[in-house]
Amino acid sequence: MALLSLTPFLSLAVFGLLATPAGFLRFRNSKLGLAPFVCILGLVVALVSTVWLGFTSSSPVSFGGLRVDLFTLFFSGVLLIVAIFVTVASLQYMREDPNKGPFFGLLLLSTLGMIVLAGSMDLVLLYVGWELMSIPTYALTAFRKNDPNSNEAAMKFFVLSALSSALIVYAISLVFGITGSTGLTAIASALSTAGPDVRPFGVLAIVLFIVGFGVKMAVVPFHMWIPDAFEGAPVTIGAFLAAGAKMAAFAAAFRVFIVGILAFNVDFYSTFAIVAVVTMTVGNVAALMQKSFTRLLAYSSIAQAGYILMALATPFTTTNVPLGLAGGLFHVLNYAILKTAAFVAAAAITTKLSVTDLDSLNGLSRRMPQTSLSIAVIFLGLAGVPPLNGFFSKVMLFTGSIYSPYNWGGYLALAALVNSGFSMSYYGWVIKRMYFDEPADQSRIPEPRIYMAVLWAATILTFAIGLYPDPWIRLVQSAAAALVAS
Amino acid sequence: MIGLLSIAIFLPTVLAAPTYLLGRKNAKVAKVMGVGTTLVVFAISILILVVFQYGQPGFQLSESAPWAASFGLNYKVGVDGISLPLLMIATFLSLLSAAGSWDQITFKHAEYYALFLIFETGIIGVFTSLNLILFYLFWEIVLIPMFFFIGIWGGPRRRYASIKFLIFTYSGSAVMLFGFLALYAWTGTSAYPGGPSFDYDVLAARIPSLALPLQLVVAITTFVGFAVKLPIFPLHTWLPDAHVEAPAPVSVLLAGLLLKMGGYGLIRYNLLLFPKAVTVLWPYFTTIGLITMIYGASVALVAKDIKRMIALTSVNHMGYVLLGAFTATVAGVSGAVFQMFSHGLAVGMLFLMSGYIHDHTGTRNIDELKGLRGKMPQTVTLLFLASMAAMAVPGFANFISEYLVIQGALSVSYLFAIAIVAPALTVGYFLWMLRRVAMTPGVGPRNELRLHSILILVAFLVPLLIFGVYPPPVLGSVITPTVEKWVGTIVALGAR
Repeated sequence: MALLSLTPFLSLAVFGLLATPAGFLRFRNSKLGLAPFVCILGLVVALVSTVWLGFTSSSPVSFGGLRVDLFTLFFSGVLLIVAIFVTVASLQYMREDPNKGPFFGLLLLSTLGMIVLAGSMDLVLLYVGWELMSIPTYALTAFRKNDPNSNEAAMKFFVLSALSSALIVYAISLVFGITGSTGLTAIASALSTAGPDVRPFGVLAIVLFIVGFGVKMAVVPFHMWIPDAFEGAPVTIGAFLAAGAKMAAFAAAFRVFIVGILAFNVDFYSTFAIVAVVTMTVGNVAALMQKSFTRLLAYSSIAQAGYILMALATPFTTTNVPLGLAGGLFHVLNYAILKTAAFVAAAAITTKLSVTDLDSLNGLSRRMPQTSLSIAVIFLGLAGVPPLNGFFSKVMLFTGSIYSPYNWGGYLALAALVNSGFSMSYYGWVIKRMYFDEPADQSRIPEPRIYMAVLWAATILTFAIGLYPDPWIRLVQSAAAALVAS
Repeated sequence: MIGLLSIAIFLPTVLAAPTYLLGRKNAKVAKVMGVGTTLVVFAISILILVVFQYGQPGFQLSESAPWAASFGLNYKVGVDGISLPLLMIATFLSLLSAAGSWDQITFKHAEYYALFLIFETGIIGVFTSLNLILFYLFWEIVLIPMFFFIGIWGGPRRRYASIKFLIFTYSGSAVMLFGFLALYAWTGTSAYPGGPSFDYDVLAARIPSLALPLQLVVAITTFVGFAVKLPIFPLHTWLPDAHVEAPAPVSVLLAGLLLKMGGYGLIRYNLLLFPKAVTVLWPYFTTIGLITMIYGASVALVAKDIKRMIALTSVNHMGYVLLGAFTATVAGVSGAVFQMFSHGLAVGMLFLMSGYIHDHTGTRNIDELKGLRGKMPQTVTLLFLASMAAMAVPGFANFISEYLVIQGALSVSYLFAIAIVAPALTVGYFLWMLRRVAMTPGVGPRNELRLHSILILVAFLVPLLIFGVYPPPVLGSVITPTVEKWVGTIVALGAR
């Protein structure tokens, strides 16, 4: 029975390996071929089994370093939703591309890596998941191999990402040197009794972990690759990187810091707090100055990473419900939905207009009304306007920060709220462009149905979570409790 | 069981979707559904008036339901003597503004009325919700339709005005939200049994035992949020732009209702929840109120655009609310609530009229409006009456409210005698405007408003005159009992 908990992993692995060869097969004259459908089937099987496991499994199951608990299942659900949105949108976006097989195969394998990352309780497995997630994304970013922008983006992404992997390996080896173990539970117990002589090495390992994860989480000052990568990569892959890879990096950071390093009794909270404030401020200010829609999305995603980082800046006691952590997980869910949808909207615009500068958004509401409406809703959600989903997760995060035993907790929350208020300037600016400005060209543009399906699904989810957040709050609270208990 | 209040709150939003879908093909359907819904909601609010028990200070018609219990959130609404008058002007002004939009909004009717109904949900929700997060939710719901109203249907500088409005008010709300969250966190520790809560009554019971510095932090941050909306002197710059650029019926909503949200928040959340903080902060807040009153009046004096002048009257008149509320006396607070009621009606009438005048003459410039009496004699008569209301001439409700505010202020300190400068300036700029617009010899052919427009304008005057001559139905039996109860609590806590 316990093996059943591996269904999501197995489904992704099996279908991921099948998708590439399936790309050579096609139905009669259909352009699409089998690969995307194999991919969707694999994702749906994984998602259904994840949800089913979430409802039925009461106790966590461990397979060596892999732990399937509510935290793993929560991230698995979020990442699979992202992957499904990306795959469905790619049906349209990659329609003309001849190499669909590898594209969808890599997508599945990368998703598998992300989920392994969320479930790993062993640093070696974590590293395997990290690479399994990263390597396919390099190829996916460079997928338009004749497009110099795509290649440049992939190169930048690859160099920084490889650096981050190297730093993580170094951190892992330091931790292994101190504790003699790679399992997070064993590390925690060894670290709690660690003497003062190993302290410098432990602090160095923490710094290396922060930098290593920070590159993928795109926190300032390791965010430079994000705007270029998002702009150069195929737009749907931008969504996959922004909402998938980034959130998986957060999952890894949560595991490592809260299960392992917490026991070391080092104040990493204030470090994360400073990084969080700097990240959200830089992201928001830079977003205001962007002239391209995808770059604006990139900087807004940097700012949002700053909010999520507040979850790691909020210490908690095991007796309390870790409100900040639960809020962080909730924001992961909401951000993933909103950001994926925002990139899908960008894909819809680039497919039809072939440019993404903000001027082309002028008067878009008359040319692409559905896309504009969903962008407006998504942006209001990202800005944290109630009753949309982003509001409640922000409220939980910020309240958690005020609860913090450190007396700077309140300032952190205030800084985040001021940032949140400020972010309305560019979110509102885009809405202003779409709805109030005059378009250069009045012609109506047909909106591809597949994109609209994804956008409507995301918009409805945004409203549904926002109007009745109770079940979702319970979910993230139990996921946070599962993480703390592991 | 869904109560009257919930129906009044959610009916407009529920009908917004059919209004948009059916109205897209036929503008007339959108108009009929929009005005019809506001009429039905007004009828519901009349029913609330019938059911309301007069002379009772507490919350009535309360409803509560679980919402997100895992986070201490519940859906809770109710009205008391402070919110009832505001609820009434919300439904009444929504009806009149929707009716005024019939002629004055000329395109995208379906979108307009759908947003209008969402706005109405927000505004009624703000005045009735008794949970801080619910309040914030409705507070923000008001913002978004208003952004679109100004941006799509506004005047030449609508884009600038709309984004400025959005950024100012949203940033203010973010600071206010900090106050709410801090309150939740600080009263949610183990020292308070029952767990953290956003419930108004629970918080009201817990706050007296909260340490004074923490109370001050929350009182100041929430004050910022409310003050941007009110608006107070240095944070008011969004207001003239937004009011001038918005279409006239929307200016009615802005000045008549949106500003009242700030005043209501100040009284309901700032004054009543933080009695101890008020003892420290009232000199600053009342001084800001005084400055806002005099500043608004002085700037209105030099306004060239009649709509800008009316917009600045609001700054002037909302200063009274701030002054009256933080005197924390029965007269002052009752006056502040009554001022919101009467100012909403008077300024709403003036704004709607400015829209009609602009439609009929093509200008809003006061100097170019010379000789209006010849073109629109009936409108000019109404302009006289509305100006008298805004000048607080005895016989209009505004006189009573401003009198009460100044009486309350004087009972606290004789230094507030300086407040009397503000009404004097107000009379000055209104009379000067009337001299230029109305008392000049009439020129031009007659171009009078249609009967239904005149009737809409007269409808504003009716309550102003009735409650100006005989205020007890609003003041004595609704506002004062509640204010007495709360001020009694404040006094008992040693605030004054």
